[in-house]
Amino acid sequence: MEVLREKVEEEEEAEREEAAEWAEWARMEKMMRPVEVRKEEITLKQETLRDLEKKLSEIQITVSAELPAFTKDTIDISKLPISYKTNTPKEEHLLQVADNFSRQYSHLCPDRVPLFLHPLNECEVPKFVSTTLRPTLMPYPELYNWDSCAQFVSDFLTMVPLPDPLKPPSHLYSSTTVLKYQKGNCFDFSTLLCSMLIGSGYDAYCVNGYGSLDLCHMDLTREVCPLTVKPKETIKKEEKVLPKKYTIKPPRDLCSRFEQEQEVKKQQEIRAQEKKRLREEEERLMEAEKAKPDALHGLRVHSWVLVLSGKREVPENFFIDPFTGHSYSTQDEHFLGIESLWNHKNYWINMQDCWNCCKDLIFDLGDPVRWEYMLLGTDKSQLSLTEEDDSGINDEDDVENLGKEDEDKSFDMPHSWVEQIEISPEGTNILEIKEWYQNREDMLELKHINKTTDLKTDYFKPGHPQALRVHSYKSMQPEMDRVIEFYETARVDGLMKREETPRTMTEYYQGRPDFLSYRHASFGPRVKKLTLSSAESNPRPIVKITERFFRNPAKPAEEDVAERVFLVAEERIQLRYHCREDHITASKREFLRRTEVDSKGNKIIMTPDMCISFEVEPMEHTKKLLYQYEAMMHLKREEKLSRHQVLEILKLREEEEAAHTLTISIYDTKRNEKSKEYREAMERMMHEEHLRQVETQLDYLAPFLAQLPPGEKLTCWQAVRLKDECLSDFKQRLINKANLIQARFEKETQELQKKQQWYQENQVTLTPEDEDLYLSYCSQAMFRIRILEQRLNRHKELAPLKYLALEEKLYKDPRLGELQKIFA
Amino acid sequence: MNQPCNSMEPRVMDDDMLKLAVGDQGPQEEAGQLAKQEGILFKDVLSLQLDFRNILRIDNLWQFENLRKLQLDNNIIEKIEGLENLAHLVWLDLSFNNIETIEGLDTLVNLEDLSLFNNRISKIDSLDALVKLQVLSLGNNRIDNMLNIIYLRRFKCLRTLSLSRNPISEAEDYKMFICAYLPDLMYLDYRRIDDHTKKLAEAKHQYSIDELKHQENLMQAQLEDEQAQREELEKHKTAFVEHLNGSFLFDSMYAEDSEGNNLSYLPGVGELLETYKDKFVIICVNIFEYGLKQQEKRKTELDTFSECVREAIQENQEQGKRKIAKFEEKHLSSLSAIREELELPNIEKMILECSADISELFDALMTLEMQLVEQLEETINMFERNIVDMVGLFIENVQSLMAQCRDLENHHHEKLLEISISTLEKIVEGDLDEDLPNDLRALFVDKDTIVNAVGASHDIHLLKIDNREDELVTRINSWCTRLIDRIHKDEIMRNRKRVKEINQYIDHMQSELDNLECGDILD
Repeated sequence: MEVLREKVEEEEEAEREEAAEWAEWARMEKMMRPVEVRKEEITLKQETLRDLEKKLSEIQITVSAELPAFTKDTIDISKLPISYKTNTPKEEHLLQVADNFSRQYSHLCPDRVPLFLHPLNECEVPKFVSTTLRPTLMPYPELYNWDSCAQFVSDFLTMVPLPDPLKPPSHLYSSTTVLKYQKGNCFDFSTLLCSMLIGSGYDAYCVNGYGSLDLCHMDLTREVCPLTVKPKETIKKEEKVLPKKYTIKPPRDLCSRFEQEQEVKKQQEIRAQEKKRLREEEERLMEAEKAKPDALHGLRVHSWVLVLSGKREVPENFFIDPFTGHSYSTQDEHFLGIESLWNHKNYWINMQDCWNCCKDLIFDLGDPVRWEYMLLGTDKSQLSLTEEDDSGINDEDDVENLGKEDEDKSFDMPHSWVEQIEISPEGTNILEIKEWYQNREDMLELKHINKTTDLKTDYFKPGHPQALRVHSYKSMQPEMDRVIEFYETARVDGLMKREETPRTMTEYYQGRPDFLSYRHASFGPRVKKLTLSSAESNPRPIVKITERFFRNPAKPAEEDVAERVFLVAEERIQLRYHCREDHITASKREFLRRTEVDSKGNKIIMTPDMCISFEVEPMEHTKKLLYQYEAMMHLKREEKLSRHQVLEILKLREEEEAAHTLTISIYDTKRNEKSKEYREAMERMMHEEHLRQVETQLDYLAPFLAQLPPGEKLTCWQAVRLKDECLSDFKQRLINKANLIQARFEKETQELQKKQQWYQENQVTLTPEDEDLYLSYCSQAMFRIRILEQRLNRHKELAPLKYLALEEKLYKDPRLGELQKIFA
Repeated sequence: MNQPCNSMEPRVMDDDMLKLAVGDQGPQEEAGQLAKQEGILFKDVLSLQLDFRNILRIDNLWQFENLRKLQLDNNIIEKIEGLENLAHLVWLDLSFNNIETIEGLDTLVNLEDLSLFNNRISKIDSLDALVKLQVLSLGNNRIDNMLNIIYLRRFKCLRTLSLSRNPISEAEDYKMFICAYLPDLMYLDYRRIDDHTKKLAEAKHQYSIDELKHQENLMQAQLEDEQAQREELEKHKTAFVEHLNGSFLFDSMYAEDSEGNNLSYLPGVGELLETYKDKFVIICVNIFEYGLKQQEKRKTELDTFSECVREAIQENQEQGKRKIAKFEEKHLSSLSAIREELELPNIEKMILECSADISELFDALMTLEMQLVEQLEETINMFERNIVDMVGLFIENVQSLMAQCRDLENHHHEKLLEISISTLEKIVEGDLDEDLPNDLRALFVDKDTIVNAVGASHDIHLLKIDNREDELVTRINSWCTRLIDRIHKDEIMRNRKRVKEINQYIDHMQSELDNLECGDILD
């Protein structure tokens, strides 16, 4: 055993070294071949190239010091489940079948390499390759399509070269382990990818075959850099606007044409030289780039994924290289041959010749001439009849029957031994978190937290009291960076957006009656007060307010302010007016707000130098001091107002961050307080009602029990007597009731008869009123009689039943327990 | 006479009174001091109150061009006058006066609120110009005819009316009548009219109102018809071919031609005239249609031209604006830099730089402008050539068509002459069967007379045709010249304005810089 282990260790050592060599070699190759654009027809603009350069320089390739070896030493197998460590009887049976199959195969095809059927897993247990596939549908919608799956596998796992590039590996690990360590060779890659693809409904197969050098080493240096492939620009058909008849001619070009021509010639020369140089360079590169003839061409083992058409609307068969995640046509020259392929249900051996790569292969797995299957009874029997005949002819002399001779013709593939494949975000960096909400009173719909920038963005549905739409911020603290967008139509002030930084606040408006479109306030550092002051009591001093206005069509342009700047600290107000349609300059006005005192000590109200104005069309009335004074007073008021507004907004903002409560649907009876109260009240009432009913229910035995001495247990005789008394009493009552109804009935009938008699006697002398009276009496009496009749009948029907019911009750009455004993 | 100040002597609205009133009612406190310093121009006054002043005659208000609100209540005014200049007036109060008729309000098209409460008015009229009238107060007057209400139907904006204490307000049906005839009214005699009353009133007077409405609609339709016709004619006039789409010209030829009319009674002339007229009218209609087509062509040409010119100017303005914006950005920063700079030599250097910038901007703007002028000149010349060509072609074609008319006339003339002479011969021979009218028979005295008569008729006809042709040619030519002149003038005006604007701006910038200089040196 010692020796064996040593040997194994040696082997592993060698493997590791070899792997390291391979990796080093691959890296060297990469470094030696700078990223080059091979297709010269893609002429790149200088800009895009610069961008590209920048992008590429940002990519940091961290070559880890440790070797990318992936051997079982590094795997912690202690925590793996039992299915990894042992084989079930069914699996054993399958392995036997596989062995048998393999033996027959090697016997019939001695010149072919041994089959890759049951490599060892991480616990050194042989597992059939099909059972290593664990079809899994990932819970992430992003991983539903093949391209994203392939991209994920290619991005998530680190590629490790095969220990021996000419042989399939001895081990094939479970996808869970591969995912855990994020490393694997091409077989690990394709097993994981295939599991995912089958899980999402693709008709996918793992392929054991031969690939080109580039493919096996994930060498993309000969591919076109994807960043240089420009997205196809939608060529807009530029409608050439015909110049109108009187379109002015462009200003005369005063440059010398001769000089221009000379310049052009010079440029052309330079370009030609450049081109020549480039071509030479290109040729040189092409020469250098031409793949060196690979000594091991066609022998390098590779594993990839084959996706057959038919399922998931795949129009035609294609390969996916799991290393790169790229898809290739089945005709691609990188794929040099296929030895075998398998999915989670069966295993097929390629019986076709691969002299021309995979170009001539036909992927009709139901055709036993081309694809020798291992297990019978899979779903791949969609072969046409003629071909079946063919196979029947070939039946005797070839390998087809080797599997069929077995008794397990319809052997079921055992369930995969691999645990559920899970891709959890654990252990990875969380980049962003999205939280969806419902039923919130603040109408918050989605909270988006970007973990890298720590930026939180809340999205609101319409209906927030402040008409919030989007709120992005880093901290809820006031006076910090934030951007708030509003549903501007829902707001009276037409506020669209507010941006805040510690020193500024910018607001954008739309559709206001005063045409304000923009307001920017910048704040100075807070003046320190001696008292302890919070943000509310000591607002930041406003240094400058800038307001911009849309054009008010009702006003002439020279009176319509476009921008006004209140320099609060400098006591200065600057106005810029809108530009008139036929002008290129706009009026401006600047007010200096100085309270000065003249030589006599009187306050100077207004002097010409307090207002500097530039007017495009000077007008008489605007020169007047009174006008300027009034304008200034107006602006002072406005400034106060603006300042006030800014402060108010800041205050409001703080209030906005108060606790949020949920809205509760009226159908949500559990959470809706009002309905809950109502329901509870109803329940209470019903309960009370019930109690009262129970209380008021008559105790039918009470009058009889009262005759007996209290507190004593009834004897049998007493009980019988009591029962009989009670029953007879009840019977009497029933009879009485019946008699009563009968008596009433008779009385009514008699009265009616009397009345009828009276009527017949006096019929002639009766007034119409009396007649009416009589008729109404008759109908009422008839009604009463009918009711009484019905009651009587009902009583007659129910009386025996009631009697029996009472009797039953009495039997069951605990106080008359003695009775039961008798009858029991 | 209700006024308490009735016994006082009437006063004249003179300058002093107005000045006093303006001063009293003008700005107060600090602004008032300023106003006093500077004085207030009457034309800047927006509101004026002249009540309880015993004014007999409205006068001296012509300077208050921009007045919005005028209160002349509680005076003894007898006649509304002197308000013609106050076109911006919105509110006019003439209550408690002695006015007897409404007049002199024809220019106050912006008036919205008119109070004539407590006067001696007996008839509502002369308010036609007041299309924006919303509030009308005519209480305590002498209006006694309900039909005055119907006059108020034309004021579509009228919402408030007071007519209480008039003879008509005594009428039993007063309120209902007004509500029915003025359905848009909201307030009557200071009370809101509720919907119920409105409905009742409507039901009550439905028939008469329907009839009224019908009449109004008819009137409206007629007015619109006339309007449409006028517009049509106007359109034809701009094409210079009005009245050519029918027999108008032909009829006018015979309108003053008594001989021609007489001659038409000759045997055979009737049919001749008929065919002549038909042919003539066809040519007229040809001219008419051709004229309209040409007009359309000229219009599109002019539109294209204006559009292109506008675009060019717009583009040029944008360029100028961009240049200025760029300059201002730089200028502002350099100004503040100068303010902060302490070293005098440095300041001087920077100021020099600044003024260099300013003159550079001036050059750039002027270059742009000159460029535009050149471009526009070229375009305008091209347009001028084209439009003149078009007009020339039009005239030529019209003239050739007119020549056809003349040929027709000549032909007709010959035929007529022939018939006349043969008729004369017949008369002379005495074998004329038909009876001729006396006027006509008088012509057939001898050959000269009849030839002269026919010739005179012919001359008249030719004259008419010539006149029409001349008119057309002169008018289109003058239109063309005026158009070209206007375009040139507009362009010159535009250029001058722009140059002025640029100079003004540059001057301002320069003076700002100079002021800064002075200030700095003083500092």
